[in-house]
Amino acid sequence: MSETDCQEILAQIELYLDHELEEVRCVEIQEHLELCGPCTDRAEFRRSLKVLISKKCRCEDVPEGLMSRVFAVLDEPGNAAPPPGA
Amino acid sequence: MDELRARFERDAPPLMPSLYAAALRLTRNPADAEDLVQETYLRAYRGFGGFQEGTNLKAWMYRILTNTFINSYRKKQREPQTISGDDADEWFLYDRMGGADGAEPSAEASALEKVPDEDVQAALDSLPEQFRMAVWLADVDGFSYKEIAEILDIPIGTVMSRLHRGRRALEKALWETVRERGLVRD
Repeated sequence: MSETDCQEILAQIELYLDHELEEVRCVEIQEHLELCGPCTDRAEFRRSLKVLISKKCRCEDVPEGLMSRVFAVLDEPGNAAPPPGA
Repeated sequence: MDELRARFERDAPPLMPSLYAAALRLTRNPADAEDLVQETYLRAYRGFGGFQEGTNLKAWMYRILTNTFINSYRKKQREPQTISGDDADEWFLYDRMGGADGAEPSAEASALEKVPDEDVQAALDSLPEQFRMAVWLADVDGFSYKEIAEILDIPIGTVMSRLHRGRRALEKALWETVRERGLVRD
């Protein structure tokens, strides 16, 4: 595995993990990762970070009563309904 | 009850948990986050006639949320919108957490797993808002680059660069956290 290959792969690893690459390129990267331990380690590290951020930052309970307060405001005069045909 | 209102009452409430969580990351303050969500729903409701059914309501409401935030809340926050870092920092956290020594990648991840949720959130909160929001939208809400570009009203290239630099800055912040928590040998 040449170093140039690895550099090119790693430069795109973020796009790859974000599912932002063309199918053809994804397959090339997958094939490289299957053969290259160091790149796989880095890719897995970045993937686990994404999962970590998602898991640890996601859960925020909506404060009690916020939903009913929000909908109560919609019923106040002047907020009654969207203008017709808007 | 008219049809529009019925549709709003059906489709908008399920989005509240993720909009509230995003509002909290933006404002970093529960009271402001509630106000922001309230204002977002009001504006969304008023503009709901202009929303095309069948398109992405979540992205549409996120766009209202971020615009509302920028117009109403950001003025009082005034924070620097830059982060330091260069290409040499690309694998900053990976290298420090033992990746370069051939340790199991899962071992590094499990040290990070031990970081309490609040600390990971605090690390994210430490990023300037525009980077924080890009990372949040991509990694927590799973929006595509194109959707993020639409929500934040910036070009896709800017999304990519904010994400890239934001994530690297977040890794540095996480490194500080794991060190302070004594979760890694220095």
